[in-house]
Amino acid sequence: MARDKQDEDYVGPIRRLLVGLLVLVMFATFLIWRIDSPRVERFRAAVIDKVVPSFEWAMAPVTGVANLIADFQSYQRLAAQNGDLRRELQQMKAWKEAALQLEQENAKLLDLNNVRLDPQFTFVTGVVLADSGSPFRQSVLLNVGNRDGIVDGWPTMDGIGLIGRISGVGANTSRVILLTDTSSRIPVVIQPSGQRAVLVGDNTINPPVDFLENPDVVRPGDRVVTTGDGGVFPADLLVGQVAMGNDRRLRVRLSADFERLEFLRVLRSNPREAITDPGSLIEPDVALTPALAPVAQETEATDG
Amino acid sequence: MAETPTARRWLGRLTYLAIALALTFAQLLPLETSPRAFAPPDLILAVTLVWVVRRPDFLPVPLIALVFFASDLLFQRPPGLWTALVLILTEIIRARASGLRSVPFGLEWATVAVGIFAITIANRAALAIVMTPQAPLTLSLIQMVMTILVYPVVVGVAYLLLGVHRPAPGAVDGLGHRL
Repeated sequence: MARDKQDEDYVGPIRRLLVGLLVLVMFATFLIWRIDSPRVERFRAAVIDKVVPSFEWAMAPVTGVANLIADFQSYQRLAAQNGDLRRELQQMKAWKEAALQLEQENAKLLDLNNVRLDPQFTFVTGVVLADSGSPFRQSVLLNVGNRDGIVDGWPTMDGIGLIGRISGVGANTSRVILLTDTSSRIPVVIQPSGQRAVLVGDNTINPPVDFLENPDVVRPGDRVVTTGDGGVFPADLLVGQVAMGNDRRLRVRLSADFERLEFLRVLRSNPREAITDPGSLIEPDVALTPALAPVAQETEATDG
Repeated sequence: MAETPTARRWLGRLTYLAIALALTFAQLLPLETSPRAFAPPDLILAVTLVWVVRRPDFLPVPLIALVFFASDLLFQRPPGLWTALVLILTEIIRARASGLRSVPFGLEWATVAVGIFAITIANRAALAIVMTPQAPLTLSLIQMVMTILVYPVVVGVAYLLLGVHRPAPGAVDGLGHRL
């Protein structure tokens, strides 16, 4: 006991001081993160970029086996699923007919209008490496990063609908904040009524719609697509359909399959050109008028 | 304590690190990408508390800081806050570890439960003060309760499989200091 006391006398205070310092450093890190989030998030992205790909060799097989077991379990419900699928297929055939007709009509209309779809609309496909590892955060890590030209803020889709937005890019990895994350806010427009709203992630599978000007004209089943508002996102990416939640709030049933995220497309979205000088639009510069003249003639010619 | 206590202690530290790595790895697997209505227990916290109550000498402070700061970064938590709270809690428990050695298990469990409750509330309070967007309250409460409930299970597994038990009265470490 006497020895113990002696030990305490000189080791104890120093140890306590060092531990106190460590705790202070941690709190300071937290405050710095709160004040200057982008810098710390870049550090986080760099750490994840180093750590997670080195897990990949083990993660891929384990994930594969787990999914295999899940698939195997689904065999038990095979008969019921088969019936459901037949019924669904019947409905789909009707829809396919409608879609084909609409496609032809759309093609004709586009041809008539001489519309050119954005040619720079290309995508990079990435594989999901890891999820956020916490029930409180909804994000996934892709195996494409700076090296592949990924830029913060680009939208990410699966084959059908919007998944989320790139937030945090490392050299070989990038993080996608899903639409369901509590920090996700996406400007959307609800289709036949044209109401603009914001899709607010709240950690549930069906995120609610907020800032809706007139909820009366929105009905369950309406299509929800992105808008180009604020130049954040390209317009007209499918998000999902409006549904009425249990709490009588308008929510969105997402089109993308959030149960199984495996291959995701990152769309290269280029910022739209900004119009800086309104004057020349209203009254063309004198120097520009000769150059414009032939164009005007051409359009007249095609019109005629 | 037939083998040298120093070697045993390093083995204990490595075991803890390996368990923490395995748990991190398991949580990062992209199996569940849709939001859950249900939160699993924070196993890394439970394991850390079991170790710090039973064998604090296996768990130096820098190791705890390393494990938790890494998981803060990997799991998209605000970096540093949870680590600092866990460090404070483990230090408080460590100071009481010799007292906890002789109490019945129920009391030990209650002490740890109060600790987990306190840091969960402190975490939410700190996040609310700096106005960070937070997860739903029910979800963090579910996780807290699950972590408290899983504590005896972790104690049992650690005791049966890894032999992590409270040091016997009068046990000494490699330098002859009392544990």
